Amino acid sequence: MSERLERIDLEAPLSGDFQAVVRLIIGGIAERVDFAFEEIDDLQLAVERLLAETCAVDTVQLRFEVGERTVRTRVGPLSEQKVSEALENGERPPGELTLRRVLQTVVDSFAVDQSADGDVTVLLEKLKSSP
Amino acid sequence: MRTTDSSRAANSEQAREEDRELLRRYHKAGDTTAREELIERHLPLVRSLARRYAGRGEALEDIEQVGAIGLIKAIDRFELEREVSLATYATPNVVGEIKRHFRDKGWAIRVPRALQELNASMSGAIERLTGRLGRSPSIAEIAEELKTSPEEVLEAMEVGSAYSTVSLSAGPSGEEELDPLETIGDEDTGFERSEDRAALEPALERLAPREREILRMRFEEGLPQTQIAHRVGLSQMHVSRLIRKSLGIMREELLR
Repeated sequence: MSERLERIDLEAPLSGDFQAVVRLIIGGIAERVDFAFEEIDDLQLAVERLLAETCAVDTVQLRFEVGERTVRTRVGPLSEQKVSEALENGERPPGELTLRRVLQTVVDSFAVDQSADGDVTVLLEKLKSSP
Repeated sequence: MRTTDSSRAANSEQAREEDRELLRRYHKAGDTTAREELIERHLPLVRSLARRYAGRGEALEDIEQVGAIGLIKAIDRFELEREVSLATYATPNVVGEIKRHFRDKGWAIRVPRALQELNASMSGAIERLTGRLGRSPSIAEIAEELKTSPEEVLEAMEVGSAYSTVSLSAGPSGEEELDPLETIGDEDTGFERSEDRAALEPALERLAPREREILRMRFEEGLPQTQIAHRVGLSQMHVSRLIRKSLGIMREELLR
């Protein structure tokens, strides 16, 4: 039996003031799963960097799916080209800090999804660590 | 009118002479009561300058106290050979101290004092709880420690993120002064290692060595913030802010 996930949808402008609101909402959602301070900070950083580096529009949609020990965050629409550049495979030289490396560090998994109409979204998954 | 102007000038000249005499007593004879008198005489100047910075999220009396530190530094550093009055010399010192205070605290937006205080006490609470629990605490645990609600803790966290766009610390060019918090803790030789190992990309080079080292520990070694904080002698919240800030600076550099 699959876990029941609560869903929260948010559409937010990306001007400076509203990014703070997005962070606050992420904090509130992650707190419900009893994420640690550091885990909340990680998830906020993941979304913040993803938006900063791959978003090419003024308004973004975020969908949060909240389980008992997990928060999945779907972010889009993002620039296909920017997502491709920022998250491309392949090892980079030491000292080079890419979005891919940041996401690999701060979330448990991430995936790129492209819909039939071409919209690119990125799915981030953050799990609560034990206990 | 001419009489008033000339009497003002005479008073001003007299005040200047009195200052010089007090400065001589302090600097030549080590008379600390002269120093105290100088501070007292110039506090109205500090208050006047502090008022310009009121309404930016800091209590006026706090700004005045910071400004007074600038005044004391000016008195202590004043060289008797200088041709300028103490007031002229002290003004940029006072303003500089106030500006530095705002830059270090980074309150770029107006934040309620209660939230600022909660944010300030969060750092200590997180350190205590991390030590006690052996892991990063949850928001509920921080709230319980600080006898407040989880919502207020989250808001206070966001206050901590509400830093100005001014860099928290120096770039390699040394154009800005180092964040004093960053000078806390032992020197870490790790950065030298990483610098030897690879030519850093220009975006990373814009960061101060300690910030680069923090990024290296976080994203190359994969260390959690708690361990990084312990290694560099900063609070976990400060490490978090530096990581966020550094990534933002690197992004700006790449877009240039």
